[in-house]
Amino acid sequence: MATELGMPGITNQTEEEPVGRWGMVIDQDLCTGCQACVAACAMENNVPIVGEEDAGYGRYMHWIRIERLWESEDYPEVKMTPFQPMLCQQCHNAPCEPVCPVFASVHSLSEDLNLQVYNRCVGTRYCGNNCPYQVRSFNWRDYNDERVHPELVTLHNQMNPDVTVRRRGVMEKCTFCIQRIHKAEDKAKSEGRDVQDGEFTTACAQACPTNAIRFGRLDDPESQINQIAATHPSRAYRALEEVRTLPRITYLKGGA
Amino acid sequence: MATIAKPLARPRAQEHEDPRQYLMHDPLPRGQMNAMVMEAMHTTSPIFWAVTGVLVLIVLFALGYEWYILIMQGQGTAGVLRPDYWGVFLVNTVFWIGISHAGTFISAILRVLKIESRRPFTRAAELMTTFGLVQAGLSIFMHLGRVWLVYWMFPVPNERQIWPVFHSPLMWDLMAITTYLLCSTMYLILPLIPDLAMARDRTEGGWQKPFYRILAIGFRGTEGEWKNLTTAMNIFAFAIIPVMFSVHTIVSWDFAMASRPGWSSTVFGPYFVIGALHSGMAAVAIVLFMLRSTMKHYTYFIRAEHFNTMGMLMLLVSMAWAYFYFNDYLVPWYGGDVWDKLVQEYTEKGPLGYLWYTMLICNIAVPWAFLWNQKWRQTPWLLAIVGLLINVGMYLERFIIIPVGVTINRMPFTWRQYEPRIEVPMTIGTFALFLLLYMLASRLIPLIPVWEVQEGQEAHMIRKIGKAEVSTLSDLE
Amino acid sequence: MSEAITLLAMFKDLEPAAEGVDKLQQLGLNDDDMNVISGIPIKHTILGRPPAITYVSRIGFFGAILGMFLGIFFIYGIPYLYPLLVGGQPIFPVPMGFIITFEMTMLGLMGFSFIGMFVDSGFPSYTPKEYTPEVSDGKIALLFICPASEQEKFINALKDAGAESVAPAEARHL
Repeated sequence: MATELGMPGITNQTEEEPVGRWGMVIDQDLCTGCQACVAACAMENNVPIVGEEDAGYGRYMHWIRIERLWESEDYPEVKMTPFQPMLCQQCHNAPCEPVCPVFASVHSLSEDLNLQVYNRCVGTRYCGNNCPYQVRSFNWRDYNDERVHPELVTLHNQMNPDVTVRRRGVMEKCTFCIQRIHKAEDKAKSEGRDVQDGEFTTACAQACPTNAIRFGRLDDPESQINQIAATHPSRAYRALEEVRTLPRITYLKGGA
Repeated sequence: MATIAKPLARPRAQEHEDPRQYLMHDPLPRGQMNAMVMEAMHTTSPIFWAVTGVLVLIVLFALGYEWYILIMQGQGTAGVLRPDYWGVFLVNTVFWIGISHAGTFISAILRVLKIESRRPFTRAAELMTTFGLVQAGLSIFMHLGRVWLVYWMFPVPNERQIWPVFHSPLMWDLMAITTYLLCSTMYLILPLIPDLAMARDRTEGGWQKPFYRILAIGFRGTEGEWKNLTTAMNIFAFAIIPVMFSVHTIVSWDFAMASRPGWSSTVFGPYFVIGALHSGMAAVAIVLFMLRSTMKHYTYFIRAEHFNTMGMLMLLVSMAWAYFYFNDYLVPWYGGDVWDKLVQEYTEKGPLGYLWYTMLICNIAVPWAFLWNQKWRQTPWLLAIVGLLINVGMYLERFIIIPVGVTINRMPFTWRQYEPRIEVPMTIGTFALFLLLYMLASRLIPLIPVWEVQEGQEAHMIRKIGKAEVSTLSDLE
Repeated sequence: MSEAITLLAMFKDLEPAAEGVDKLQQLGLNDDDMNVISGIPIKHTILGRPPAITYVSRIGFFGAILGMFLGIFFIYGIPYLYPLLVGGQPIFPVPMGFIITFEMTMLGLMGFSFIGMFVDSGFPSYTPKEYTPEVSDGKIALLFICPASEQEKFINALKDAGAESVAPAEARHL
């Protein structure tokens, strides 16, 4: 249903799935579980360091996590499953968006990403409950405050000036490094052209030593990620496809 | 010659029951009833003030100070984590809204159905509604990460040129709970006005005389005033019933709209409404017992017949609750969605499985065991204990749905059990605040709507039909 | 034209009060010049009085319409003014329309009925009024205006009907 307000028709019909603009391909065969992406994302996006006690309780705030699972008939003989980096899928029909009562989680039309507006968030945490991938992190305390972590104050010097530092009570999640997207788009606009695929990449894709994570344009059929996905059609799948959130990340199945 | 009728195995007891055991057939002069109610309001013992003092301390420290810590240090002082983003605060919210439904049920539905035994305790129940909604509102504020910005959820024009999202069930919650709180407070005030006029007429001096005079807004009881008052009360009685059903349905949609296994169940709407009635009516039984035991002269107003009515309603609602719970249980048990089944297995056989068994015993086994017998139903202390157990069971039901059910989701890597931390003293604080508000209200306003009791007594009479004395109710409205 | 005087008659029960009203009507008093003050609402047919007119339901209905428009504004007017996209759901959602419109309609109905009750009865009013506190103890008061010259006739008629007392009513602070 296209509205008269000049916005492109957004539907939740099943016939047509919009292609999207920015996406990723994650090859689970190549992922070694080294967690370089986790560290790079935390440094790039000023993700707070939670500390041992809270992280042990399950309050880690990493925007990307490597899911390490194993199958076992008789422990300790276990069979590892392929590592799965799990991050915000930037769903087209994001379930986290309609449940926020204050428009802190909205859909960007120009980038087809799910935006988290930090200064609008009131902290109801409904979006966190509703995310089927459980990729949203909440600032349970002022982890960047020197009263909570006095030993980490010097680390504030390495914070990224392009990214807001969040305070307690605010929800956050992976943004596909939107600050890098905007920088590249601004540069391209000043040069009077469109952003090329491969001109920049996200922090996690940049840090990955095996190039398991690749980032790029989805609407360009010649783009890197579309070519990789086309090369392995039988291995390509979407996470939790049955929930029909229309995510923007294609995983390539690992293992034999 | 064959017998025409077989004699009964047991002779029927109480062939001629004394109709004066019923309040409606035991009228006293209105002046005497007024005096009894006013005396109950003014008689306080040292124990009352001691309990009030303790409650004030609990509210100040367990609620006030701990909430200050929660706001200053963040939700990390609570026990919530990923994936259990919602914890005991939401359980408290749902629990208190559930308790508040009893008031509306008794004063609106029983009034519409013309069940006369509701007459003495409508106000006690409506006070439970108002104070319960206050606790629910506080609990929902407690769980917000940045509660000082909660006004962003109110749909009013502002300079930010942004309005709240009506797609969100939390906004429906806000609309519904605000409507319900305002309307049930108004419904509490309307029948209170003639009783405040009575209090005004019976108070001589001190601070009470101007207090009641101002609150009684000049009510005299002329025909026009009564007509306006009863018309407004009738509109409220009919209109607040759908609002009551919609409020807890909307609260249930907070969970049903979420794409969590175990939460997105289509039966949640009516299931939660019945659950609310279940815990609410059990709470009314407890309140009636406490009022009858502590307030002077209230043994005249609150009698065995009222506990009998409450007991029958509690039994009926517990059966309805069992029906809905069985609905919600059967579907995942049967199979289908692997995640729904995992949630159910974790609930029953996980580390907190004992909570599940306790819930079933308290909600189903206890009422079914004790409420069939009329004599037991008419015993106030037994009904209060049954009510207490039912409320424990219903609190556990919400606890199982929210923090326990939310542990299992479609990403097994994230599964982790919730442990309540600062929520414990704050929950105790909300219970203390509820009791404190109730105790203060019992000193300030008459808790029995005497004019309604007299109205009912005027409408009832004993008529002789044949050899039997029959209770007759004339429709005076 | 002799001046009118306001009298207040006290009755202990409903039957004598009904007889008293009857006697006043026989003596030619207009129904508008009489009023009954009681501690419980008494149906008008019991005392033989005309039905009281109330505007509360009309005010309530008006409030319901206002509430409905407020609800429609919330759910359709706001996205029209400030459209923001969330979760693949339509900008003008239909099911939420029912919910919000229903709640606001009910709030308008009940809120305006409540206010209408106050407005129609003239509450809050702290001016001096004719009243006796015995009314809230269950007695029924008959308040009427009659010409001062004929008040003896009225007083005797009411005493015959069973009034406990008939006296001039003075407006006093409640």
